[in-house]
Amino acid sequence: MRTNSLAAVWLLGGLLTGVAAAPVAEEAGAFSPAFIASQQKAVAPAICLLNFTAEVESQRTGETQKRSTRALGLIVSPDGLVMTHGHMQSDKSTPSHIRVIVGEGDEDKEYDGVILKKPDDINVCFVRIQGEAGERFPFVTFASEENLVLGERILLFGIMGETLDFARGALTRGISAVIEKPRMTYCIDDAIPFGYVGAPVIDARSRIVGVVGYDLTPAEGGELYVRSGHPLVYQAPLFAKYIQNPPTADALETDHPIAWIGVFSQPLTDDLAEYWGLPKNGGVVISTVVEGSPAEAAGIQRGDVITSFDGTPMRAKKNSEIVGFTKLVRETGVGREIPVKLLRQGQPLDLSIVLTERPVSAKDAEEFVEDTFGLTVRALTTDVRILLNLPDDTEGVIVRRVKSGSWAHLAGMRPGVIILRFGEYPVTTIAEFEDAVNKAREARPAEVPVFCRAGARTGFFRLQPRWD
Amino acid sequence: MKWLSLLALAAAGCATMGSPGEHAVIRAKNKVIPSLVHIRPVKETFASGQKQEYVVEGSGFIISPDGYVVTNEHVAGDSSLVRCVLYNKDEIDAEVVGTDRYTDIAVLKLKSSETNLPAAELGNSAHIEPGQTVLALGSPHGLSRSISKGIVSVTDRYLGEEGPRPAPYNTWIQTDAAINPGNSGGPLVNLKGEVIGINTRKLSGADNVGFAIPVNTAREVIEAIIDHGYVPRSWIGIRLQEMTSKTDDPTQRGVVVADIDPLGPAAAAGFVPGDVITAVNNVPIHARFEEDLPPVLKRIADLPIGTPASFSVRRGEETQAITVVTMEESDYKGNEVEFSEWGFAAAGLTPAIVQAARLPSSQGIVIAGIEVGTAAAESGLRQGDIVLSVDGKEIAGLTEFQALYDEINAAAKRLVLLDVKRGALTRFELLKLEPGADNDDATPEELITNEENGEHPDEDE
Repeated sequence: MRTNSLAAVWLLGGLLTGVAAAPVAEEAGAFSPAFIASQQKAVAPAICLLNFTAEVESQRTGETQKRSTRALGLIVSPDGLVMTHGHMQSDKSTPSHIRVIVGEGDEDKEYDGVILKKPDDINVCFVRIQGEAGERFPFVTFASEENLVLGERILLFGIMGETLDFARGALTRGISAVIEKPRMTYCIDDAIPFGYVGAPVIDARSRIVGVVGYDLTPAEGGELYVRSGHPLVYQAPLFAKYIQNPPTADALETDHPIAWIGVFSQPLTDDLAEYWGLPKNGGVVISTVVEGSPAEAAGIQRGDVITSFDGTPMRAKKNSEIVGFTKLVRETGVGREIPVKLLRQGQPLDLSIVLTERPVSAKDAEEFVEDTFGLTVRALTTDVRILLNLPDDTEGVIVRRVKSGSWAHLAGMRPGVIILRFGEYPVTTIAEFEDAVNKAREARPAEVPVFCRAGARTGFFRLQPRWD
Repeated sequence: MKWLSLLALAAAGCATMGSPGEHAVIRAKNKVIPSLVHIRPVKETFASGQKQEYVVEGSGFIISPDGYVVTNEHVAGDSSLVRCVLYNKDEIDAEVVGTDRYTDIAVLKLKSSETNLPAAELGNSAHIEPGQTVLALGSPHGLSRSISKGIVSVTDRYLGEEGPRPAPYNTWIQTDAAINPGNSGGPLVNLKGEVIGINTRKLSGADNVGFAIPVNTAREVIEAIIDHGYVPRSWIGIRLQEMTSKTDDPTQRGVVVADIDPLGPAAAAGFVPGDVITAVNNVPIHARFEEDLPPVLKRIADLPIGTPASFSVRRGEETQAITVVTMEESDYKGNEVEFSEWGFAAAGLTPAIVQAARLPSSQGIVIAGIEVGTAAAESGLRQGDIVLSVDGKEIAGLTEFQALYDEINAAAKRLVLLDVKRGALTRFELLKLEPGADNDDATPEELITNEENGEHPDEDE
């Protein structure tokens, strides 16, 4: 918070339209120093440094350990919306105490930042700068299309390390692969230093075409890339909707409900079509129907082949093409009757299905922290039931964290264990667990046997609290 | 006589004569070492989807003049040939009389007409105590005729039922005598030269923490294997926990029912988790600590197979008798068979797999391994998948699967559909068979001819 003057200067610097990079075209091939300098002048002010505390979960106890860390942020709107790479927030790591440092060296300015709900279809995070009312920030605007080509040179601007005073730097890279499916993906030809993850990517025509990212999310078929560790260009159309319409700060609130059908599926390969005597036109083969799902209610059966969903033909022949179906389902409206065409044992069949809102997933499940025994538990959600292959009649709460040195820790309890009974009380919900803990706190028993499921087996843990 | 005692002192300090302790060690070693056997089995594995053989090094000891040899199941089990090198360096092959995975014991019989082989004397492991000197004999890292010395660290270590090698029926002698890979199956002996244990495990990452099966456990298992070829045991489908898992109150006697196999006899008889079993056929049972569990588990295993047994059960304040008809316990690992034309190896289902996979019945087979570059590998099939049906026909077990496999191969089908369960999900996996693709006899000439004729094996008919 050294000076306010810079913000004013930026405002004057043509920022009403955003930093659309200096209008200097460059021949394909190496970028000239003049080109790089002009781009840096235009883009660097929108690059900021995010300092935050990452709360990382311990595998053993589920407890969080804090460490200070940083990331590159890119201001994408004049009111202080910052985009950064998705690693800032994950199932195992939550950011807090976010500080946004805008500007460089002696002229930087520090703000509080608030993390917004992470999009689940692109691996980026958004942070809202808590500036003064009406305060304006330098920002970048992205090109609406990218069409990069193999071998094309790109220019990146990032932040160097602490010992270099977080100075802004430039790197040049090339496009090493253009992958068209499951969606257009551009790979970068060389490793990316940490301070350039999330950096703006500029092409030879001075267009800011995207940012540097790693790994697609599972929702967009990311499984294919998860272990690649290969740097990619996240092209602007992937995240434009979030800049246009930023997520809210409330992690539990979704801007629009995500629809759920409740099936697991696989593509109708030509071989499978041949085997079943079906036309080799592709389709979505239903391999599992989740109990209690809209699909089950609509009468969809295992082995059905969906050929059309809400009027859109389904032509998946490869695993990567199933993504189209899952994406379509997610974006379909909840509560509307949707026509589905399918083949059942070779015969065409028309059904209609009403999708429901996706059930709460483990990461959004209700959580309860009790201090007496040191247990943090969550409600059992559909995704956990499927992941752990729990018996259908399993009702309980799942241990999320065990406080180090607590009675629960001493008894050998660990995250992932499902509590079915606490003392003499059956536990099927968070409320019942809370109630059972409260009763134990009042009765102060010398020992509390806790009946749990751990993996395929059940058994007892004995808590021995000392009440004095 | 002062000179005599001076002489004794001098002798004690003399390295060649040895201390009284050394005498005892050497005497014990001399007594048992002629029985020591270096064992080199050729084992079979199906983890890669096809049968592969490899040689391991282990230890064992002769227990009868006519050539019965004891070693570990993990040494001699699943082997096609067992080569034994005796202490006099004679090499003799042995047949596997039988194995028991639950106690990790195998009994071999040397293929020799000799009737005067040096048999080791089995001691009494009930009479050992921590601190007593023991010797471990065997072939650490294949170095035969090795001896290490230590003490008994603990007489009754419980290593439990969890993990890849459950050991429900015995506690272990823990020793600090050096035990290394290759020591497995060798004798742990006292200073009388009697075998008190079979060296079997070590704690990796730790120093001097080895474990031996007590000889009293082994003796019964060896007798059963010699009589039946295996150890018949009763099973009712429950998992037990010690009393202290629920209460530290020493007046509460019995053993806690922790888990019930939904398809087992105990579930059918109405047991529920949390029940406390206080007696079996009116004989009280009690396991306060986990070390007390093996005798209780063995009591149930020793019940006659297929007959009703009465369990006294305390549920809350009430005590009741529950009658359960016992079943025979199955091996915890099914036999593995290779199905090379399709590119995988599979095993029959065991109650443990059925319970873990939440199967509605014990019908099906489990994929033990996938061979690279085969139809199975090309499909989405994975190790651990459970195959429930083939071309719409449900499979009861490995035998039925083998019959279907032979039938389908004889019909030279190109596509075979497997119904597969993987965790909570089911999937369709299509095997695209290429008749002749697995034909190892094809000569290069034949392949060239095929190509010249334009007959590509991939081509559709």
